[in-house]
Amino acid sequence: MQTDFHYYATYCAAYFAGYSHEECMEICYSAQFVDWCSHTLLSKLDAPVNAATTQLQLELMSSGDDMISLQNITRIWASFHFLPGDLNAERPGCSKRYLDKYRLICKPNGRLIVSTVEHAKDRSLQAVGIAMHVLADTWAHQNFAGTPSLVINNTDSHFFELIPEGDGYIERRITFKHNPGLPDDPETSVYVSSLYQSNENSIMNLGHGRAGHLPDYSFIRYRYLPAWGDYDEITKDNPSDYIHAFAQMIQALKYLKGTYPSFDTDSYDFEAFAPYREEIEAILKTRCLDPCKEWKAFGEKLSGREIEDFDIDKYQTEYTEAPNEAKDDTFLGRFITGAMTQKSMVTNAIFESGNKRAGYSRVQKREGRS
Amino acid sequence: MTGFQRIRSTLIGVLMLISSFILIRFPDYGFMIIAGILSISLAIYGIRTLVFYFTLARHMVGGREIFYLGVIVLDFGIFTITVADVSPVFLIAYLLAVYVFAGLIDILRALEAKKLAAPSWKFRLAGGIVSIIIALVAVVFGIVLKSMDTLVYIYAIGLIYSAVTRIITAFRKSAMVYIQ
Repeated sequence: MQTDFHYYATYCAAYFAGYSHEECMEICYSAQFVDWCSHTLLSKLDAPVNAATTQLQLELMSSGDDMISLQNITRIWASFHFLPGDLNAERPGCSKRYLDKYRLICKPNGRLIVSTVEHAKDRSLQAVGIAMHVLADTWAHQNFAGTPSLVINNTDSHFFELIPEGDGYIERRITFKHNPGLPDDPETSVYVSSLYQSNENSIMNLGHGRAGHLPDYSFIRYRYLPAWGDYDEITKDNPSDYIHAFAQMIQALKYLKGTYPSFDTDSYDFEAFAPYREEIEAILKTRCLDPCKEWKAFGEKLSGREIEDFDIDKYQTEYTEAPNEAKDDTFLGRFITGAMTQKSMVTNAIFESGNKRAGYSRVQKREGRS
Repeated sequence: MTGFQRIRSTLIGVLMLISSFILIRFPDYGFMIIAGILSISLAIYGIRTLVFYFTLARHMVGGREIFYLGVIVLDFGIFTITVADVSPVFLIAYLLAVYVFAGLIDILRALEAKKLAAPSWKFRLAGGIVSIIIALVAVVFGIVLKSMDTLVYIYAIGLIYSAVTRIITAFRKSAMVYIQ
């Protein structure tokens, strides 16, 4: 997912859940900041680098394929962008080595998303924003794993886009190009993806890189053969997945706000936005690569307030100028605490399932820097 | 390419440079050493590929290609050492054939990369063409003009060229799709 959903749509979901404009801004800023909080940025801020929630392209390119580097990559990408759906998934006749990767495949409505939302309960709005990023990505990034793996994340040329026409769809073969400098072109179904790398642990085989940005576009529907799927075709319907993500975010946000007593899997609050559903679906189905403008206009119409554009520098001075003992109380300090708690929770859940692919983390306290 | 892969690629390039200098310094039996190194390398790669297939890739869509690759490469490795026992001429002809084959593969991959708009295609195409030209020149000097020393030197120059391009490639900027 991109800024359109992590920032603007998250703002709208928070507003539907009953948060004030100011609270919505903090939540959506934090949700979007997950895509920016890298080791490099934290080093610049002299902040704890193990709170990184993403890795920059250059950071990824310079990391090795040794066990320590792979664990570091997996901790970040599985905790924040590809939350595993079932850490105890079984597949007959497979080695433990294979299962350790297979069990990291991201799916919505797994037990870990309940833990993620519950961990954000009674905590900062930054922790709430982080949880919303993770939840939304379980829908967009499903069927890929947040660890480099050819045998899980590879795709082949069997890729077809389903384009709405009349009451049905027409099919068009998707062509992947491997030059990241080229733009994606929905008009011709030519998209950019990572190059095939036969090395199992190549960084090119992380997440949905082999399927390009298709999972990040709300408008697209396509069918393909996932590497792990035993030649069973998957049809991915992003407009449907994204509306479910939106409704589930509202459900989770209402739980976090105290409106609902619990948060369970497969629960969605479609009622909250019923009068606006057609309008939201129209935005989701707009065939453009960046519907930020549409989401922003909708959010501003909803709250009657201006939604300022995401500015990565917005809270950095507050953090760097705060004395050490007060850093936890700054916006970024609260984000860092929330990020470390989430990473610790997911890493230990993976470890306790008998899977060493993400390493081990000491249990992070729910509050405070230590 | 990750940092570790860059280091590994550079080390292989250095190993190729050392091999070419061995050939130039000891043209009489240098080919035997090269054949030995090539044989062991191919056998190890083939076995590793087969282990990868049986532990992981057999569950993957299209994984059978990895099995075929492992079998073929392992077979090449074993075949290389058996050829070394027969005659130096056969061995040289075999190594040149491998060289031409590698050049053709480079050209095919370059054409595929061009089709997919990958920026690396020109470099790869040039490498493939140069490999084939060097092999043809070696055939003319060695087999037609029967100058074995010249053949060895040309082969060594080709090896130096391959080593240098491998090292340059290891330090080139590589691109990936950045996922969010």
